[in-house]
Amino acid sequence: MLSLMVLLPLISNDTALVERFGGYFLLAVFAISVDLIWGYGGMFTFGHAAFFGGGGYLVGMLTTRGGWFLPIPFWLALVAAVAGATLLALAMSYFVFSGRLALRGVEFAVVTLAVAVIAERLANAGGSVSGGQNGILLNSRLGIPGVISLNKGYGFYVVAALILIVSYVSLQRFIASRSGLILRGIRSNEDRIDLLGYDVARVKRRTFALSGSLAAFAGAIYYTQFGIVAPGSVGVSLSTLVLLWVVLGGRGTLIGPVAGAILLPYLTNSLSRGNLLDIWLVVVGVILVVVILVLPAGIFGWLERDR
Amino acid sequence: MTAVLSARELTRSFSGLLAVDDVSIDIEAGEVRGLIGSNGAGKSTLLSLIYGQLEPDAGTIHFAGNDITRMPAGKRARLGMGLVPQVTSLFEDLTVEQNLVLGGLPKEPHATLSLDRAEVDRVVELIDLHDSRFIRAGHLSHGEQRWLEIGMVLLSRPRLLLLDEPTSGMTMAESRKTASLLRGLQASEAVQSMIVVEHNIEFIRLVSDRVTVMHRGAVLAAGTIDKVKANPEVQASYLGRLR
Repeated sequence: MLSLMVLLPLISNDTALVERFGGYFLLAVFAISVDLIWGYGGMFTFGHAAFFGGGGYLVGMLTTRGGWFLPIPFWLALVAAVAGATLLALAMSYFVFSGRLALRGVEFAVVTLAVAVIAERLANAGGSVSGGQNGILLNSRLGIPGVISLNKGYGFYVVAALILIVSYVSLQRFIASRSGLILRGIRSNEDRIDLLGYDVARVKRRTFALSGSLAAFAGAIYYTQFGIVAPGSVGVSLSTLVLLWVVLGGRGTLIGPVAGAILLPYLTNSLSRGNLLDIWLVVVGVILVVVILVLPAGIFGWLERDR
Repeated sequence: MTAVLSARELTRSFSGLLAVDDVSIDIEAGEVRGLIGSNGAGKSTLLSLIYGQLEPDAGTIHFAGNDITRMPAGKRARLGMGLVPQVTSLFEDLTVEQNLVLGGLPKEPHATLSLDRAEVDRVVELIDLHDSRFIRAGHLSHGEQRWLEIGMVLLSRPRLLLLDEPTSGMTMAESRKTASLLRGLQASEAVQSMIVVEHNIEFIRLVSDRVTVMHRGAVLAAGTIDKVKANPEVQASYLGRLR
């Protein structure tokens, strides 16, 4: 995977393609943030786009809206967006994971689904703050003004690749650590982890906050480069799409969701403008169904089945 | 002797049916207490009350000087209680070693996650799973899974170990090996005290010399195995059925 990342800009002169792959890398960061809580922690989320798109929205509002101390510079807005998403994730996880009525399984999934629905409705109804149905046009540019532009082409590709590599390696180290082992224990047998004396709610809260902040960070960069963030970015459809990437690649493998988040959007993008213009959605759907039926653990889950 | 555990007048009912009826029990430091009785006698419910998986309707439980009557199970574990439940409950997709590490890591929320590797090595030898330490727990035999469960709890260094039918589903050879493992724990003082729930009275004889007999939720008799076996009420209500 790493060699492909290095090779692509060397063998391709197509700047648009390289830039598109930069975007896929950020989607891959979003996918591994979901894999952390679902694949490794067993917390099935149906609303993680609220964090990914929320990062984009926060940066957009902080950098384009006026009044009080606004607008603020992009890098400051990025820090504030990640901090805001982390606080939201902590607040949400405090209510759903703590106490005797702590939610898990389907109940937790339903709450996250509700969060995505509410986030989309708020984005739609937010008037001049959120831009309503039109969303927010982001005018910030990645890079250092007057020194280097990282918003387009190869510059953006390198930034996105570095973000993916650092996020991937950090999560891999976390999962291999003792804290990561406790998280995998929760996925495997939450009741036993609780009976052994671990503070399950605390582990889940921290993991959920980590995942939410990573998704928000990736989303803030992604939508800044994309130039627009709209209500669909925080809603149910993107939250479902990321689950498909994770399932296709193999949940609980980390590398699988990365592959899924690059392959599926690439396939979708390529098929939707070739000869299959009219039936590309059907083709993608059939591929997904076949993979899930034949390899229920996903591509990398199947490859790693005996390890 | 000091009581590690002192439960007083514990009562618990389910939909009007008394599962545990006014039971008091004291466990001394260093004691291994057998808890026997027929099916539905209330043994496992009593263990669940002691470990905090169930709350009593009435009565109190003190453990290591603390009133733990309303304390959740996880906090009781952090105070030094360990449970090997009746139904095997492991981390099946993790390896034997990872299961043991999860048993041995500090459980306090802000503790550094340090672990004595030598202790894991010692326990893996004790439960005779050295050759399987990198195998997933779900691939072990039933007996090996039960030993792994004991090893996992042992690594948390419990003051009081509760074992709910540790030999259930085991072959005779595996049961004997389990008895030998528990005797080893007693001898090495790896565990201060134990409560062992069992149907198999010969197994109890191998690991303990004091038993409490339960019948219909209440304590029917308590004392040495020979004294209890000679009790006419115990013979009528429990031992008679075993013959």
